[in-house]
This record gives sequence, C-alpha cells and structure tokens, in this order.
Amino acid sequence: MKSNMIKKILKYVLIIFVAALFFFPIYWMATMAFKPFPEWTAAGEKLYWFPEQPTLDNFREIFVRRTDFKTDISSTATGPIINSLIISSLGTLMAMVLGIMAGYGISRYKAGGQLPFFLLQLRMFPPAAVLIPVMIMWAFLRMVDTWYGLAIIYGVVTLPFSTWLMKTFFDDIPSELDEAAIVDGCSSFGAFLKVVLPLTKGGIASTALFVFILNWSDFLIAFILTDRKWGTIPVYINKLQSATVGQLYGPKAALGLLAAIPPIVFGIMIQKYLVRGLTFGAIKK
Amino acid sequence: MANILLDNLVKTFGKQTAVKNLCLDIKDGEFVAVLGPSGCGKTTTMNMISGLLQPDSGKIYFDGKEMNNVPVGKRGVGFVFQNYAIFTYMTAFENIAFGLKIKKLSEGDINKRINEVAALLQLEKALHMKASRLSINDMQKVALARSMVTEPKIFLLDEPLSNLDATLRNVMRAELKNIQKELRQTAIYVTHDQIEAMSLADRIAVMNFAVLQQFDTPLKVYNRPKNLFVAGFIGSPTINLLDAVYDSGDFILADFQNKKQVVSEKNRARIHDLLKQEKVVLGVRPEHLKLSDSVEGNGNELTARVVSIEPLGSKTVVYLKSDSDTGNVIKAIMGSDYRPKVDQVKTLNFREKDLYLFDKISTELVFRF
Amino acid sequence: MSNQDSQITHTKQLDKGRLGLFFTLPAQTALLFIVVFPLLASLYLSFTTWSPMTGRGTLWYQAYQFWAWFSNYWNIITDSAFLLSLVRTVIIVVVVVPVELLIGLGLAFLFLEKFPLKKLFHSVILMPMMIVPAVAGFIFYMLFQSAGPVNAILSKILFVEITTPWLTGSVTAMICVMLADIWQWTPLMFLILLSGLMALPEDQLNAARILGANWWQRFRMVTLPLLKPVIVIALILRGMEAIKIFDAIWLMTKGGPGTATETISVYLTKELRYLHWSWVATAGVIVVILISFASIHALKPIKEQEEQT
Repeated sequence: MKSNMIKKILKYVLIIFVAALFFFPIYWMATMAFKPFPEWTAAGEKLYWFPEQPTLDNFREIFVRRTDFKTDISSTATGPIINSLIISSLGTLMAMVLGIMAGYGISRYKAGGQLPFFLLQLRMFPPAAVLIPVMIMWAFLRMVDTWYGLAIIYGVVTLPFSTWLMKTFFDDIPSELDEAAIVDGCSSFGAFLKVVLPLTKGGIASTALFVFILNWSDFLIAFILTDRKWGTIPVYINKLQSATVGQLYGPKAALGLLAAIPPIVFGIMIQKYLVRGLTFGAIKK
Repeated sequence: MANILLDNLVKTFGKQTAVKNLCLDIKDGEFVAVLGPSGCGKTTTMNMISGLLQPDSGKIYFDGKEMNNVPVGKRGVGFVFQNYAIFTYMTAFENIAFGLKIKKLSEGDINKRINEVAALLQLEKALHMKASRLSINDMQKVALARSMVTEPKIFLLDEPLSNLDATLRNVMRAELKNIQKELRQTAIYVTHDQIEAMSLADRIAVMNFAVLQQFDTPLKVYNRPKNLFVAGFIGSPTINLLDAVYDSGDFILADFQNKKQVVSEKNRARIHDLLKQEKVVLGVRPEHLKLSDSVEGNGNELTARVVSIEPLGSKTVVYLKSDSDTGNVIKAIMGSDYRPKVDQVKTLNFREKDLYLFDKISTELVFRF
Repeated sequence: MSNQDSQITHTKQLDKGRLGLFFTLPAQTALLFIVVFPLLASLYLSFTTWSPMTGRGTLWYQAYQFWAWFSNYWNIITDSAFLLSLVRTVIIVVVVVPVELLIGLGLAFLFLEKFPLKKLFHSVILMPMMIVPAVAGFIFYMLFQSAGPVNAILSKILFVEITTPWLTGSVTAMICVMLADIWQWTPLMFLILLSGLMALPEDQLNAARILGANWWQRFRMVTLPLLKPVIVIALILRGMEAIKIFDAIWLMTKGGPGTATETISVYLTKELRYLHWSWVATAGVIVVILISFASIHALKPIKEQEEQT
C-alpha cells in the first residue's frame, strides 16, 4: 500500500509541474502588463519575476498616446479593440445565420450534397494560399480595410464550424418533433423556426461564442485584409512591435492581457462543448 | 476447486451500505446462487470476491488463504459479466485466448484449450469472427469460454443469462450446470431470478438490503424460509400471506371476516411456546391451495371471489379476492382445464401442514406445521 | 389506390428536396462567391505574370495581357524557397502533432483519478488554448530572449550561465516555434483524449484485470484499440490546423532567422507583401491541389463515422 501512496504523490507532483508549465507564459504576460519600463528587460542584471513597482502605465500607454515612448504609430488601442469587437461580432452573426440554416438542412434533409465535407476541406487550405483573389476582389470593390470586408471573410472562414456544430445540435433533437409540428399545421420552415430553433438555444449560444473566439483570435486574415483604419487587436499588437524604442513589452503585454479576457471567459462558459466544437462534432462528450 | 469463506464483509459507498456483515461459507465444488432484488448487494459481493473492490472490513479466504491483499489478476477466479465485456476489436478466438496469452501459454496449448472449449460450447463456427459481429448468444458463450479456458478455481457469474432470449436461456442454464459439475469448479452465480437460482444452485444465498437473509439448499429455502422476505421471494406465483391474530390457540383471519383457522391438537402446545406475540402472518403457497365450489351455509369455510384467470397451458393461475376490503389478492394454481368465471365465489382448501407461521413484527418464521 | 400513394410520396420527396436546398442555399451561395469564384480567379492569374507592379495601369482581369502559360508552375516547382517552405511545414507538423498527442494522452490518464483541486488544474491546463495565437507568439518571444526567463530558469537548474540567443539561431528558432505550438495546442489533445478515455467501457478493462493483465497489457490490448478512433480524429484535426501555422511564427521570428522558420503560410504572406501576386496565385493553386488530395484521404474516417449514424 505504501508504493500506492508514493505513486499517487508522484502523479500529483507531475500534474502540478505540467500545470505550472502551462501557466507560466500566461503569468509572464500578466505580470509584464504591470511592470514599469525599467523592469521590462534585465539588460544583464536581474530579471523581475514579479513587478516590484506595479504600474498602470502600460495600460495608459495603449489607451492614451504618450510621447515618452516615442511610438510611431498614430493610433491608440481603443480603435483596434472596438474594431475587433465589431468585426468579430458581425462575422459571427453571418456565420451563425448561414450555419444554422445549412446545419438544419443537412441534419434533416441531408441536403447540400458534398457541402459538409467541402466545408471541412475548406478548413485545410492555408488562408495565405487562397486570399489573393479575395484581396483582388476586395481591392476592386474597395472593400479592403473595411469592417464589412473582413467580417464577410470571417463569416465564411468559420462557416464550417457553425454548420457542423449546429448540425450536431439539430441531430440531438428528434425529427419527430418537426413532424408533429407539421402535422399540427406548421409549414416546414415554421416548424424549424417555432419548434426546433427555440430548443437549440443553448447550442446556438455556445456555437456563437465559439465562433466569436475564433474570429477574435484571427491574425493572418486581418493582417492581409486590413491595415490602419480597421486593424484588429492582433494586427495592432503586431504593429506595436515595429516601434523605434526596442520592443514594447509592457504595452503589448497589457493589450494581450485585455485581449485574452473574452476568449478565456467565453471558453469557460462553453467548456462543455469545446470538444464538440473543435472536432466538428465528431466527438460528443 | 476451492472453498470460499467470507468473514464479516462490509462495504459502504458514502452513506449507503452495500454489504453488511456478510458471512458465507461455500464448499469446494459447490454451485451457489446469490439471489436478491436489484441493489441488495450481490454484485458488490462478487466484486469483492474477485478483487475488483476492496471491502471496508472483513476477510476473504480461498482454501484457508487470506485473499484481501492478493491483487485482482492473481486470485485465480473467472468472471463472466452481465454485459459480457467482450473485447470489441478482437475476434472470438483472440478474446478467449486473452487470459492464456497473459499466462504465457505456448501457442499449441492455447489452440488445444480453445478448441476444447469451443467444442464444448458449440462455438467452432464463430471462432474467427470479429467480436462486434457475433450474435448475443455467441457473445455470451465467448464470455463464458474466455473465463473457463484459464481453468480458474472459482467461477463468478454476474447474471450471465439475463440478456438472452428465453429459449436459449433455458438451454444455457442446463449447459452451465453440466459444465460446472464436469469441471467441479466452485461457482457463485448472481441472479434476481429465483427460478434460475432454484434450478441451478446447490445452495442459495438470499440477500436483501445488504444483509444475508438465508443460506440454504433450494428445498430448505422453499420449505423453511427464515422470514417473510425469503418466503415471498421464492416461489412463483408468490406465496399467499394472510394477516391473523392468535387467539386462545387458534388464529383469527382478518381478511376472511374473522373466521377461525382452527389449529390441530398436536400443534397447539408447540405454537403456544414459540409465539412471542399475537400478531402473525399465515402463509400458504398457491400450489398448495385448491379451489372448490362453494356450498351455501358452511359457515367456517374460507371463501373468495374470482378476480382474474391466467391459463398458462400446463396449469391455470386463479386470482381471487376475499370479501373483506383489504385488497389482498389470493393466488391458487389449478389444473390446465380449470376455467372458473369471474366473480364466482370459491372455497379455499388447504392442508394444515402446508401452512407457514410468521411473527408479524419480527417477520421471522416461527413454525412450520 | 397505390398510384395515389406513390404520387404523394413523390411530391413529399420533391418537397423535401426543395426545402433542403432552401436551407443550404445561403451558405452555398456565400461559398460560391467567396471561395469558388476567387479560386477560379486564382487559377486564371496563375497562368499570367501579372502583379500590381508589372501590371501597372491594368486591372486584374486584363491579366491575359501577361499570359505566361505554365511558366509560373514550372518556376515554382523548382523554386527552392517554395519547396523548402513546404518541407519546413511538414517537419513542424510531423514533430508537433505527435508530441501534443503523447503529452495530451499522458495528461488525460493522470486526470482519470481524483485528486485535490482537480477542477482548478483542469481550467489551468485549458488556458493556453484560449490565448490569441498572435499574443502567444509575442509571449514566447519575450520568454526566449537571451536575457529572458527561460534562460534564467535553465541557468538556475543547470548551475551554468545560459544565454542562448534562442530566436536568432536557425535550429533553436525552430525549436521555439514548435514549443509555442505545443504549448498552445496540447490542451486540445488533452481534452479530446480525456473524453475518449472516460467513455471507455469499464467492464472490458475489469475483465482484462481479472484475466491477469497488468497495466501495460491492458493499455496495449484493450485501451489503445478502443481509443484508436478518437486518436485518429485528434491527429487529423490537429494536423489540418497545424499545416496552416502562422500567427505565432510571425510574431516570434517573422520566418527568421533568414528563412529558418519560414513555413508555407509565412512564405506566401511574405511574397504577398512583395506584391508577387501571380506567383502567390500559382503557389496557391498548387497548395490547394496538394491539400485536396491529402484531404480526401484524411477525411475518410470522419466520413465513415458520419455515414454510420
């Protein structure tokens, strides 16, 4: 029995070790966000594991442009934050509307032929490979660096997730309910709208949050399709890097910390469905 | 081939006691049925004997050796699960060979043993099919073969026949008994089906609510049930239980308008000594209850009204209700031709020696006439 | 009578067909315009040498003026930068995905039992997945500075002053990039495998125990075969996404030092910024063809599962 105890303790130590490894980078960012300039880099001397003089300067820097740092970007972080919010939400809206309908069609009528698998294939293409023509189209239609230009692409790029996820949620609801509604006099669309849809409210919310997280986290597409006017948070963080005064660890960490909040909060809220979402419904807990 | 001794086994799960002070003494080569309703503790007991669960207190002995600290794989038991637990991605052959491979038997030995077992259970055709393609009946046989082939000293079976269709269940029941006798293995068979227990077991351990009620041969459990629970659990249809009051040597039957059941002279003294209080329950089994047409005016006869009839081919079960409104349903078994009409009044006939006498408060059997 | 019946079912099916179309039409239209059409345009461009620079003054659909047949294709297939970027991508995927699987599996096993603060640890382990990948890249950039925390910790453990400039050495930069991906996506494998493990039929494992199998034998002969479907899905999904790796690399090394960490996505993005549009279009077509072939094979298991239900 003693060897059992030792095994258990060793396992627990291992878990603590791994959790610490996973947490450390986040810890580093969180503490960096509150470190004043002198504490950013050790410059050969000591490394600050914990901010000795915690400050809100970094936050101030990204929201109120200050000249001390001589940053050469002309905007504050407020813009990108709002941009991210707007574009991610709209992209989510589009993906949800299209996905809910398509998901229902696939679930109930097996419609769309190869659509479901084409959507999966879509996820496999590196965006960089397929974005040129979109760029050209958008440039032609003057949709580059606009909120709607990016939002539409977000809607399409996350469509596979919204479609597959909603399909699994619709699958969970027995089709007898639809048929009962139709027998009672509803049209097929009415049955969908008034009977099935309300029952999938939870699934819709979780899918929407999931898609939002994906849009919020995107960098490459926004990088290619937006710039100064409608750049999102990741684009802005990337730009902060090309400042003249070395690397702006503090402000970037501050912004990174803020940007991390929605995904973490939403992620905890939809914990139950994370596996389902990330595996396109292939695995349901 | 081993005897098993369970000494005061206790197992609780949180606040629930699953097994309470279980003491069982099973002889070498004996076929013991553990019988009881769902949740009575029988599966927990099996899991403790096999080693899958550790008892909170109490000891387990195989052939006098203490087994509590012996790990699961080394106890020399075979276990057949209720859902068979066949390894999904192996063939029937590989399933059966599993235990032998672990024991590092030579390929020749493995083949020999499996072929023997397959012949015994008529599994030859299915041997090389994938487990997922087997019929339920073959799955059951594979589960059986898998544990048999390792020649365990003790065989544990957890309701192995409950998933089979009725005809195969009867066939397998007989097969199981034969196999057990041939191999002379000690077997413990968990079931909630008392017919199975009665037909298969050398002795039956009846359990209810984590407590062992009685451990006896089928005949004894049938003729001398220790208490009301055992009496009611064994026998189908279940025994008729009539409330009564002991009054100066005789019994007043509440269900039958207080008619008297007169006790014969030879038993009066004994009953007087044994009874601790006056509230009793009289039991008479449906197979001992005969019906006859009522004769008017015969005051002391017990009568009841026919409520429904079950013609079962070889026999007819008749359900009756006494006229007092206790709602107690009386069951009687008559011949296959017997066809009374509903609402007819019949007289109940039985011999005194078929009666069981229970103390109503302690529920124990006081006297068997 | 039967004629009428068959007519009724026929119209019902027609109805169903039309209805199904109605529901999936919006999504299919969107895809047509935003995916299919651009892909065709890409194809068109790939046969030209047009770019905003070479084609100054013309619009893209006038690119036929710069017709070049298959010369782009020929040039790309023999272009070392392009090919090497493909190779680097494959190397990263082949290393990163199995590592994530193994660590995730180990963690999942640890999480099968009860221990104090389990829920807390579960949430902590999930956190890397929730960090914006670009931000994760930046964090690892900070961590692997030669005067940064990683070197500081290593120095303490090894009792030697370590000042490796991780991000400026070719091999070490690769390692950092891989570590960033492993950090970010192991939690996903952990989640998937944990749900797979918890769904394992306990009875089969108990049966194996009683038959004398030790931990390793049970794992090899019972657990693994049962887990195979889940593992396959996890590998496919993670592989699918790993091919596209970009965000963290861009924030950490921009493909550097030199081209040491230039994956296909990084390569294409760089070319885009140099305005080599038709070149990228050609590369895009090749990549799409390659991946389409690979995907048919890779998605078979998921397809089979769907058709079973």
